[in-house]
Amino acid sequence: MTSNNSEASVISEPKYPEVMEAPRYSCALGGAISTALGIFGTVPILHSGAGCGQAHLNGQAYGCGENAGGPQGGTSTPCSCLVEEHVIFGGENKLRNLIQSSIELMDGDLYAVISGCVPALTGDDVESVVKEFKEKANIISIKTAGFIGNSYKGYELFFLSTIDQLLKPLPVKKGRINIFGVVPYQHLFWKGDLKVLKGTLQRLGIEANIILREFNGLANLLEIPAAELNVVLSPWNGHEIAKSLQEKFGTSYLTFPGVPVGPKQTSNFLLQLAGRLNIPEEKVQEIIEEEERIAYRFIEYLGDVHILGLPHPYFAVVADSGTAIGVTQFLANEMGYLPETVIITDNPPQEARAEIIHQLSVNIESIFKPDIIFESDSHKIRLKLRDRSFLVLLASSLEKFIAADLGATVHLSVSFPSFDRLILERSYAGFGGGLNLMEDILSKTVAPL
Amino acid sequence: MRLYLRPILSLSVRAIFACFFINKYQADYYRLSLKSAHFEVAIVTKIRNIAIYGKGGIGKSTTSSNISAALSEEGYKVMQIGCDPKSDSTNTLRGGRFVPTVLDKLRSGKRIETNEIVHEGFNGILCVETGGPEPGVGCAGRGIITAIELLKQKKIIEEFSPDIIIYDVLGDVVCGGFAMPIREGVAEQVYTVSSSDFMSLYASNNLFKGIKKYSKSGGALFSGIIGNSINLPINEEIIQDFAANTKSTIAGFVPRSLTVAKAELQGKTTIEADPDSDQAELYRNLARKIISNESRYVPAPLGTDELKAWAESWYDRLLQHNKNQEQQDTEPVKSDLKYYELKPDSAKAKVK
Repeated sequence: MTSNNSEASVISEPKYPEVMEAPRYSCALGGAISTALGIFGTVPILHSGAGCGQAHLNGQAYGCGENAGGPQGGTSTPCSCLVEEHVIFGGENKLRNLIQSSIELMDGDLYAVISGCVPALTGDDVESVVKEFKEKANIISIKTAGFIGNSYKGYELFFLSTIDQLLKPLPVKKGRINIFGVVPYQHLFWKGDLKVLKGTLQRLGIEANIILREFNGLANLLEIPAAELNVVLSPWNGHEIAKSLQEKFGTSYLTFPGVPVGPKQTSNFLLQLAGRLNIPEEKVQEIIEEEERIAYRFIEYLGDVHILGLPHPYFAVVADSGTAIGVTQFLANEMGYLPETVIITDNPPQEARAEIIHQLSVNIESIFKPDIIFESDSHKIRLKLRDRSFLVLLASSLEKFIAADLGATVHLSVSFPSFDRLILERSYAGFGGGLNLMEDILSKTVAPL
Repeated sequence: MRLYLRPILSLSVRAIFACFFINKYQADYYRLSLKSAHFEVAIVTKIRNIAIYGKGGIGKSTTSSNISAALSEEGYKVMQIGCDPKSDSTNTLRGGRFVPTVLDKLRSGKRIETNEIVHEGFNGILCVETGGPEPGVGCAGRGIITAIELLKQKKIIEEFSPDIIIYDVLGDVVCGGFAMPIREGVAEQVYTVSSSDFMSLYASNNLFKGIKKYSKSGGALFSGIIGNSINLPINEEIIQDFAANTKSTIAGFVPRSLTVAKAELQGKTTIEADPDSDQAELYRNLARKIISNESRYVPAPLGTDELKAWAESWYDRLLQHNKNQEQQDTEPVKSDLKYYELKPDSAKAKVK
């Protein structure tokens, strides 16, 4: 792919996409389980082989800052554990029994039957089995054969199934928005970022339904149609959800290229949002001024470390498109770091790539524009980071040892998978998010003792 | 030095003589087999694995069972494995009764005993049915794979050591499961039962595609089309033309016959129910040809458009034929068997 912008050089597609080492996401089923677990009170019921749930725990949950699956996830997940018998004769009876016992044994507000590759191939009529339980519990079925896509696709399918099977039109509440595009267990800082954004928006009088990480998960889901606007924080993921909600409930939507990191992006985000929600600009400016003052006052504390320890370093980013845009723009536009290369790992669709390239070239204020590479294969990422000069590497924990080999390079895990840090409510979002990011980068290099 | 060489020399001389005797012995057997008009069980040194495919309802189970019956009469130990979820391949070998299938036993979850899945039928023929799921549920293709793997695991073939195994397989080769018998290490020779109907020949063409694919990895090769339900010369012509176009051969033609229908109603093969009938003799001839047919090759399946064009080329001729037929309707009907005497020589000439 070649950019229209002459300043950004973009390296082409991998030649052998069918072979991939350590991709930066799980399958569609993984994304759907993640989303179910992110919406508290939802019990995922897996209609799949036993390995699917286990792989989610080891691959997706641990990979997202060493998080466990929670009370309904991990090894507590109900699963039909399909074996050959069910492949040949069908697994509908087993699923029926599993749903029955899960409703009896697992407390939950919503049961999400997530079916994987096996029932998709053998043609189990999962929907009709799920329908039998509609009277007994809130239950939905999500058809996520693993092979139909990655975690991002699974996230979208979860919500698309919810829209089809659960949501009913509601009167629109003024100043209420839904936030999409932050995939739990895939976006490392999903818990923290959503909390921060909700708080920031509250100051503007906007009631943000973040759906995830709140105890009233089902109520949040059911209230999706009550929103005045849907906001998608990703250059591509979650757009389908917003389009579907627009078709079904007439809710318009606003997309933002990623979770905003630091004062500039957050101010921009608030101004755009306020424009769409007809909030007076003076009110927004007032809050921006107040927040920026705090953020920039605190950034002064890191001034000496920044100038003496690691002044204007070249940096490389290996991350999903949303995180990459947020982090790169903050470091380049607000800290004066020099972007060397940005490797986008979430395999965005072709039609979204021009916008991502625009965000990472035109919207970078530095005269240095990064090389933009779309690559999900860990081996090829390793090769593409060779013969480059950078002092900071913001990537996944898979790149940790590349940085170690380079000697002085600082490595920080900011993208999936990150097995080398525990992430609970850490957040790089909002006005103060940039401070957190600088804290994490500079703590790695600040002094030997 | 010489002391060492002597015993070695004498050993090698003995070995050469031994080889000579073995070769002579074998050559005699082969000569016997070539001369013999009938079969000599002793000459079969290896199990003959034959797969018979065909579109559903085309008569492949009837044909397979009659071939099995004919071969068992000749003294062969035959095993017939029905690879169809309907599991009715071996019915006519077992008095019209269904036998418990391999997958039924697997589903029960209990330990599987050999005698529970291998059942003796007419004249000692070993009958096995792979079975499968209920219609519209599960994956029948995977069922066939599992059943055949189970037969291998349980060493069923070794235990019964049949001379000939006939796999009777549902024939559209719609997925990998139904191609299982033509993959490496199962059958070596494949026949297809086909009428002159376009859909039946379409299924045969699909089978050819399957064979072509697996032929590269040591899979089964094709040995001939068995034309079934042949009523009129034009039916035969259509199949012959299809064979010419797909570079395949014809193993034989079997006419439609009431004798077969009667026998099936009794739950028997024609060979068992009416052993002296012309039709029974016809099946015996077909069985003989199949067992003596060593020809194996990769056919040339037609592409979808080619197949359509070929079928259209027959359209006008069939129309003309139907017109003639209407004129002849007033004339008394001839016995179909009179026209169809097997022509082994002409059929043989086509075999490469």
